[in-house]
Amino acid sequence: MANRWKLLSLAALVIVPVALPQVVTGAFAQDIFIRILLFSFIGVAWNLMGGYAKQLSLGHAAYFGLGAYTSTIMQVDFGISPWIGMVAGGIVAMLASLPIGWLCFRLRGPYFTIATIATAQALMLIFLKFRDFAWGAEGTTIPNLGSSPLMMQFETKASYYYVVLGLLALGLVITYIIEQSWMGYYLVAIGEDQDAAEAIGVNAPRIKRDIYMISAFLTALAGTFYVQYIYFIDPATAFNFSISIEAALVSIVGGIGTLWGPVVGTVLLETTSALLQSWLGSSTGGIQLTVYALILMAVILWRPTGLIGVMLEAWQRFVLRKPARVRTSP
Amino acid sequence: MLETVAQAVINGLLIGGIYALVSIGVTLIFGVVKIVNFAQGEFVMIGMYISFYLATQFGIDPILSLFVSMPVLFVIGVLVQHFLIRRVLGPNDMPQIFLTFALSLLLLNLALLLFSANYRTVHTSYSDEALHFAGLYIPVAKLIAFVVAMILSLALWVFLHTTDLGKAMRAASQNRDVATLMGINPNRVFCVAFGAALALAGAAGSLLMPFYSAYPFVGQVFVLMAFVAVVLGTLGNVIGALVASLMMGIAESLGIQFVGADSGLIVVFAMLLLTLAFKPNGLGGGRVR
Repeated sequence: MANRWKLLSLAALVIVPVALPQVVTGAFAQDIFIRILLFSFIGVAWNLMGGYAKQLSLGHAAYFGLGAYTSTIMQVDFGISPWIGMVAGGIVAMLASLPIGWLCFRLRGPYFTIATIATAQALMLIFLKFRDFAWGAEGTTIPNLGSSPLMMQFETKASYYYVVLGLLALGLVITYIIEQSWMGYYLVAIGEDQDAAEAIGVNAPRIKRDIYMISAFLTALAGTFYVQYIYFIDPATAFNFSISIEAALVSIVGGIGTLWGPVVGTVLLETTSALLQSWLGSSTGGIQLTVYALILMAVILWRPTGLIGVMLEAWQRFVLRKPARVRTSP
Repeated sequence: MLETVAQAVINGLLIGGIYALVSIGVTLIFGVVKIVNFAQGEFVMIGMYISFYLATQFGIDPILSLFVSMPVLFVIGVLVQHFLIRRVLGPNDMPQIFLTFALSLLLLNLALLLFSANYRTVHTSYSDEALHFAGLYIPVAKLIAFVVAMILSLALWVFLHTTDLGKAMRAASQNRDVATLMGINPNRVFCVAFGAALALAGAAGSLLMPFYSAYPFVGQVFVLMAFVAVVLGTLGNVIGALVASLMMGIAESLGIQFVGADSGLIVVFAMLLLTLAFKPNGLGGGRVR
C-alpha cells in the first residue's frame, strides 16, 4: 500500500511538470510557471545554506548577479555560448563566495545576515560604478539570435520552461544527496548549535565554506538563465535585493531546511502575486510585498515549520489518523 | 585645503548626530532584548511622515513635532514588543531575524501604498539659514538636529545609569536570568527598551524633516549606517554606537568630498568590510556596555 502510494506520487512528480507546458499553452500562464520554477530553484540553492545550516543570508543576489554578468560578458564580448558562460558564472560565484564567506562568517546570527546584505549591495555599487567593464547603470540588451538553442535562445516559452525545470531538478537532486550524506547531518548540527557541533568534532568553518560555495554556484546558474530569458541585464536587475529576499522568503514560508519547502513556498507566493496582479493591475506598487510580508509574519508567528509542516500535520491527522504530534520549532 | 577638510568634518559630524539616534536605538534593542531590529529605519520613516503631516496640515514646526512623534513611536514600540517580538524570543535566530525583517518589508510597502514613492519636503524659516564661523558654513537646521540628538542621547545615558528602570534594563542586558531572579520583570523592561529605541528613531525622523526629504525607502539609508556603527561601536554599547556614528558621518562626508558625490555608501560598505576583517568585535574590543 505504502509502496504503491510512493510510486504513484513519484510518477506524478515527473509527469505533471513535464506535461504542463503542453497542456497549458497561454504565454501568461507559462511565464508564471517559469517564474515559479526559477524562484523555487533559487530558494533551493538558498535553503542548502540558509535552511539546513541556518546561515540566514540576505545577500544571494550577489551570486545571481555574478552568474548573470559572467555569462553575458562572455557572450557579448567574446561570443561564447551562455551554456558555457553559465558554468563559468557558477565558478566565479564559487570563488567569490570564499572571500565573502571569510568576512561574513566572522559574525553570527543577525549580524551575519547584515554582512551578507552589505556585500551584495557593495557588488551592485561596483557594477554601477565601473562602466567600461560592464556597461555601468545603463546595462545592455543581449543580442537576439532568434532560435538558437546552442546560445540558450529559444522561440517558445516551453523550451525555457524545460531548461529551468532541469535546473530545479538538479538543485533538488543535489539537496537530496547532501541531505542523505554526512554533510547534511553536519549542516543540521551546525544549524542547531554551532558550538556544540564543533565540540563533538564538526569542522564548522569548513562545512560552512563548502555549503556556501555550492549554494553560490547554484544561485549563479539561475542568474544566467534569468538574463537569457529577459534578454537584458543591468546592475539593478542582476543584483536586485528582492532576489535575496525572495530566496529566503520562499524557503521559510514553504518549510525551512526541507527538500520541498522552497518549491511549496514559491508556488504559494508566486501564485498569490500573479492573482493580485491580475485583480489589481500592476500599477499598485507595494501591494505584492505587503502581502508577502504578512504571509511571512503569519508563518513565523503561527507555523514556524512552514507549509510543509502544516501539510505533514494534516496528512498525519486526517489520512493516517494518528493523534496530533507535538509541534517542534525548526 | 584645511578649510575643505574642516567643512567636510563639520557636515559629517552634524549628520552623524542623526545616525547616532538610530544606532543607539538599534544597540539598545540588541543589548536588552537581544534581537536586531531590521525595521528600525522604517520607524525613522514613520517619524518623518508624522512630522510632514503635522507641518503641512497644522503648520507645526517639524522640530516641535518631536513631542508628538516620540510618544507615538514609544507606544508603537511597546505594542510591537508585546504582541510580536515577545512571541519569538528564544535561542532560535530565524524567527527573530525574519519577523523584524517582515515588519520592515510591511511598513515600507504600506508606506508606498499610502503615501506613494514621491519625495516630501517641509520648508521652514530656518531651512536655508546658516551660521558663518571662521570661514566655515554651518546650516542651522542641521545644527539644531545635532544638538537635540546629543541632548536625547545624553538623556538616555542618564536614564540608564540613574533610574531604577534604567538600571533594570542594564541588568537585564548583562544577564537576563539573574535579573529575573532579582525581581525584574523582563517583558516590562523589554517593552520600555523597545519603546525608547523607537522613540529615538521617531526623534531622528522629526529632526531630519527640515533639511531632508521623506520617502518610503528613506529609512534604509539610516539603518544601514546604524548597523555598521553598531558593529563598529561594539554590539550593545550605547557610548560606542554614539562615537562610531559620529565617525561614520565624518567618514561618509569626507568620502563625498574627496572621492565623489555618490561614493558615500561605498565608504560605508568599505568601513563595514574593514571592520569585519580586522575588528569583528568592534573598536571597544568586545566588552558589552
